[in-house]
Amino acid sequence: MIDKKGVERMMKKSLGLLAIGLSGLLLGACGGGSNPNEITFWNPFTGPDGENMQRIIDEYNNTDPEYPINNISMAADDMYSRIPTVVNSGSGIPDLNIIHAERIVQFRDANLLVPFDEHLNNFDGITADNYVPEAWDIGEIDGERLALPLDIHTFVMYYNPTLVEQYGPDILDDGVITFDEIREVSERAAEDGITGMGLTWMRPAFLSVMAQHGGEITVDGQNPTLNTQESLDTLELYIDLYEDGITNEEGTDPLQMFLSDELVFFPEGIWMQNEMLNAEFDYGLTHFPQISEDIDSVVNWASSHQFVMFENEDRDEEKTQGVIEFIDWLRDNSIEWARAGQIPATLQLLEDGEYQDMPQSYFVESEENQASMRIFEYKYNGFVAEWLDANVFDVIFGRVDPEDAVEDMQREVQDMIDQDSTGLEGSLGDAEEETEEAE
Amino acid sequence: METNIKTLYEESSSKKILIKSSPYLFLLPHLIFFLIFFLIPSVFGIYISFTDWNLFGTPNFVGLQNYQTILMNSESTFNTQFYNGLTNTFIFVLFTVPFCIIVPLLLASALNAKPKLHKFFQSLFYLPTLLAISAVTLIWSIIFSPSHGPINNMFDLNVLWTSSQPFAWVVLVVVTVWWTIGGNMIIYQAGLNGISRDYYEAADIDGATTIQKFFKITLPSLRGQLLYTVVITTIAQFNVYGQPLMLTAGGPNNSTRVLLMYIQQNAFGSGQSIAGIASAMAVMLGLCIMVISAIQFIFLTRNDRK
Repeated sequence: MIDKKGVERMMKKSLGLLAIGLSGLLLGACGGGSNPNEITFWNPFTGPDGENMQRIIDEYNNTDPEYPINNISMAADDMYSRIPTVVNSGSGIPDLNIIHAERIVQFRDANLLVPFDEHLNNFDGITADNYVPEAWDIGEIDGERLALPLDIHTFVMYYNPTLVEQYGPDILDDGVITFDEIREVSERAAEDGITGMGLTWMRPAFLSVMAQHGGEITVDGQNPTLNTQESLDTLELYIDLYEDGITNEEGTDPLQMFLSDELVFFPEGIWMQNEMLNAEFDYGLTHFPQISEDIDSVVNWASSHQFVMFENEDRDEEKTQGVIEFIDWLRDNSIEWARAGQIPATLQLLEDGEYQDMPQSYFVESEENQASMRIFEYKYNGFVAEWLDANVFDVIFGRVDPEDAVEDMQREVQDMIDQDSTGLEGSLGDAEEETEEAE
Repeated sequence: METNIKTLYEESSSKKILIKSSPYLFLLPHLIFFLIFFLIPSVFGIYISFTDWNLFGTPNFVGLQNYQTILMNSESTFNTQFYNGLTNTFIFVLFTVPFCIIVPLLLASALNAKPKLHKFFQSLFYLPTLLAISAVTLIWSIIFSPSHGPINNMFDLNVLWTSSQPFAWVVLVVVTVWWTIGGNMIIYQAGLNGISRDYYEAADIDGATTIQKFFKITLPSLRGQLLYTVVITTIAQFNVYGQPLMLTAGGPNNSTRVLLMYIQQNAFGSGQSIAGIASAMAVMLGLCIMVISAIQFIFLTRNDRK
């Protein structure tokens, strides 16, 4: 006799077991199996320098540390979108992160960063003496060390040595090329159909020239000061260069021109060195064009990759020590990062012969050169950067009046600041204040 | 009396449940995706538009403030952004949708005559649809490059295609139409295949010209397909983002900066996130799309209701 109800129950049970089994498989595939001692390391190095970073991580992991690193690279936009998501959900927060220097203040205002101060007791080497000053200083805000530097990367100028020799042999004697010298060289070169200077990424170019004129994007750290005479002078400098034919024309590609011996001066970042290898000549690398010859007033726009730790309940004191051990190890082991074209922040590297031969080491060779690199630290740097990226070319090419432009820049950045709610009542930024008041 | 498992199953309540619920079981996978990836985010997005959230922490309710700013406060940057973005989006839709309907329709009609190599041409016209937007914009920015591109060099022109008007719009329309031909074309082809040859033969006997046959037989028979593609294409083109971003960078002078670019910049830009304003802009865009689609639907089906 077959028990009808029993068979039914069995069928339901098997369906149920199947469902549980499947979900178990799925869950297992998703999360489990990783080493709990692994440090999850998020960084935006998805380009060629990502390979260099992977080599660095592999080298470190081969030293058999107690807390090995799990290297997770993702596109910068992805990373900055993911950070709020994981932080809000409280799970999947990385142990260590690389962020761009200008964003430190943003995350600090949202109370997301863990200060390094109390964890550095066992690490005598991690001090101001051992790092490039600009890269070290930017990680400290209001007496708290919120970030440790990996590198500093600066926007400078490549040049064609043969063409410079031909059209302006002595301009490099004082180590600084001025806009006036560029004009002279360009006028001579134009007779042979060669263009003087390339118009490339205007954001760092504008900021550098504005700073050279003595301008500041902010004076009190909160409100922008963008509609100033210095901003106007900067725009007009570039408008004049363009109208006088010193620069490449709109629609032409300065990179191609430079690589094909048709352009003398090519302002770009040190990170473009791999592109420069495509040139048929040995490129030269020097400071970004200046309005003054004085080495002490040279300004090269710079940014920096900084290590930060986000608030994370799953990262205990020992793991934090493991994180800092990796950062400490990097002080003596950053040559691989230099091979990516970067300027590592550790001063230890200055004694390395291989590094001394790399063009970018020029910028940390001397104290004056180190001081020339400037990170434009401002809480709302992002808004300024976006306006510059979207609008400066329109001004240079004559589509927008420069006076209207600087007013527009001031208004737009101010409107965005007024809308920003970080640090206001109700957002995460206020959490600490409320607990303090309650006590 | 012998019973076997099969009969037991046939008579069991499990099977009855399975049969009754099978339509829903078929719907379930899509329904789950729809809920997780569309409905819940949309509702959350609408909620965000009433807050001043910056993606961190808990959103702070501000009522209709965001809408007031973007719609009515003429001194605010966001107001300028909204109207500039919406205008440019409308212009884009107005320029591209007609071509995105007419060109595939003509191509489908031509292919329907089944000339030599029509299978080859069919694949050729469909191929662009398979490409990713970034590949498309990369290829076309080289083609339209003022200094190195074939267009300026072959025709001995000196046009700044992506940085002057009206050429920037020309580039955007050409690239968009080229990219999206395939989708509508196969829908029209399927429709054309279903038109009976008898109609055309009867028309031939009556002495109709090709153009008369096209407007009196082909078009009316394709009404369903036309309605569907017009509405879908309009909705799709309202969501334009990749082409102006990568071909013209919103220029010259923000004249091709569409609303989605402002939304993206405000929510996920380099600075602090202004998700509340971005959501309000997105909600307004959604409302525009719904209204326009409704108008189109009513207009195109009015003959059915006579």
